[in-house]
Amino acid sequence: MRALFLLLFLFRLIDTQAQEIEADLSYKYMFANNWDKVIQTYNFSRPFLTEKQPLFMHGINGSVSYIFKSENKFKQGINASYSHFNSYAENVNFVNQYNLHFLNVGYMLRYESTEKLKGLTTDFILSASSSALFRNVNDEPFIFDDTRSKAFGIGGDLSVRTSYSFNLKNKIRLSPFVQIGYTPYLFSPNTEAVINQTSGLVSPNFTDIFSSQIGLKFRLRE
Amino acid sequence: MNRRKFLKQTTLLSIGGLLLPSALLSSCRPDTLFEDSSFQGKVLIIGAGAAGLYAGYILKSKGIDFQILEAAPNYGGRTGKITGFANFPIDTGAQWMHGKNSIIGDLAKKSDTQITLDDSSEKFWFNNEIVSSLPQDINAIFLDDYTAPDVSFAEFAVQKGFGNEYKNIVEFIAGDSGAAASHISAYWKIKEEEYWSSGDEDFKFQETYFDLIEKQIAIHVQDQIQLNTAVKQIDYSGSTITVTDNNSNVYTADKVIITVPITILKSGDIEFVPALPTEKTTAFSKIGMDAGMKVFLKFNTKFFDENIFGGNICASYSDDSIGKVQDDNVLLAFIMGQQAEYLTSLGSDTAITNALLQELDTMYNGQASASFVASHVQNWTTNPFVRGAYSYSTVGMGDARKVASESVDKKLYFAGEAMNVNGHHQTVHGAIETGYREVINLIKDVRK
Repeated sequence: MRALFLLLFLFRLIDTQAQEIEADLSYKYMFANNWDKVIQTYNFSRPFLTEKQPLFMHGINGSVSYIFKSENKFKQGINASYSHFNSYAENVNFVNQYNLHFLNVGYMLRYESTEKLKGLTTDFILSASSSALFRNVNDEPFIFDDTRSKAFGIGGDLSVRTSYSFNLKNKIRLSPFVQIGYTPYLFSPNTEAVINQTSGLVSPNFTDIFSSQIGLKFRLRE
Repeated sequence: MNRRKFLKQTTLLSIGGLLLPSALLSSCRPDTLFEDSSFQGKVLIIGAGAAGLYAGYILKSKGIDFQILEAAPNYGGRTGKITGFANFPIDTGAQWMHGKNSIIGDLAKKSDTQITLDDSSEKFWFNNEIVSSLPQDINAIFLDDYTAPDVSFAEFAVQKGFGNEYKNIVEFIAGDSGAAASHISAYWKIKEEEYWSSGDEDFKFQETYFDLIEKQIAIHVQDQIQLNTAVKQIDYSGSTITVTDNNSNVYTADKVIITVPITILKSGDIEFVPALPTEKTTAFSKIGMDAGMKVFLKFNTKFFDENIFGGNICASYSDDSIGKVQDDNVLLAFIMGQQAEYLTSLGSDTAITNALLQELDTMYNGQASASFVASHVQNWTTNPFVRGAYSYSTVGMGDARKVASESVDKKLYFAGEAMNVNGHHQTVHGAIETGYREVINLIKDVRK
């Protein structure tokens, strides 16, 4: 009960401090050169797998933003987002799947246009990014030495998002948006071990990640 | 421009600006390397072991012309099998799949090859008795001590307080790496295995390792293998490489992938024209490969333990029926380094068998000789195309494997377990990794 009261109090505090709380869902396209190399090497080195492993390319993203009250055209906020990418290939006796999860938490600077372009907003988001990669074989977590096959990574993400808000009804606003981002990324050496079952053979433990997104933003409170 | 028009154009531009490059980038991102290899030349592969067979398999998958020359009368390299000795097939060479997080693990899964975790129990011959555990845990110092100096296992063990009474236990640990304890480096073994990523569990094949290699890899390249063809000279001085065999037959190629054991490269049996760079031959000389043999002893009773480590004649005995469907009483004597040299010096399979039976009789109160049925000696040291077990890290080794594995003049490429620089040397999956690695390097060189 005490925890519930604490949560309600925190929510109320956030609610009163925030000008806006937003949530969004989007399609995310990713280009990570060194992850491509590892998966391409995996596919190249396994002619016995006719169905090739797709690259980490198409994913989904969801995020929540909390924007502080301000009378200025520039507003500040915090943003947390989650992305998921999947690489799935089904061969006889061997269904191989990699699941890549990203969690970003960061600072957001918002510019809201006024007058003629009212409703157009641009967000600059600087976040810390972390990822977890898992492998499944035949629809089960791949376990060896009694441990699940997994790898982690960290990076810093810089994104720019532009959206335009439509008022549907009172207080309900939908904002289509586009976003592009760049993330210099360090991944753990065993990332290659999870994907290609080698270490140090294919790529350095670093990759540039370029991403673009298109989606819909829901303004939860104004 | 009014507001509506501006918004419409901005929206279209944004969506187009995102989706168009995404679609274009997607089409520029093939899911494999070298979809079009664009190499029309010919590749010769010297050696039909795991690395050579796999290199051929990859070349075939990319539509590249190749031929494999093998000195021995059979392919498979240091994998092999015999049938009829027991009621299960016997692995005469590589036997354990070391970890399942490897390309071999994937291949076994894909081909539905039956494997079994080898979790057999260990016993030790220590101070003239069989014990379940040692007074001190010696294994830990070799597995975890990242401060080990660049001295031999034997010397390092003494430094750590494991004196003469642990001598044969130290030989067993070194033997697992295919070496005599006085030859292998404590430091470089740990250093080189930093990249080890396939897992620590060992698995055995219900059939044999050779069956997997034969049925899943060799089958794709069998028609390109020429057996009984020992290469004597590789002349890479011209734009076309000429390779001459022991019968003076000449083969030509644009690229050559050399996968022979390191002992053959060190011996000078293959003449290179021009001679290989000095740093290359120096690197070869720093990679160790000691004597090694496997002796299978068949008995009519199972008097022995699943594993007995620390013998003076053989530091490692294992129940060979573990992981098999049938269970004839076959004990494997896995003999490496100086112990293998000593047994080889006895001069005959009978003498080798008798020496082992004598040691087992001491351990098991005469039960070995009493129930002995037959033996099979597989001496890899006397195999003229192998001459040892597998590569190991010597004292002062440095980056010898890296230098040894580098290509020469974009014409000669080096593969095989000894050329694995990613921690998987000494293993079949490590050899396979070098096989496809060198095909990647070869195609990269062609495309430059």
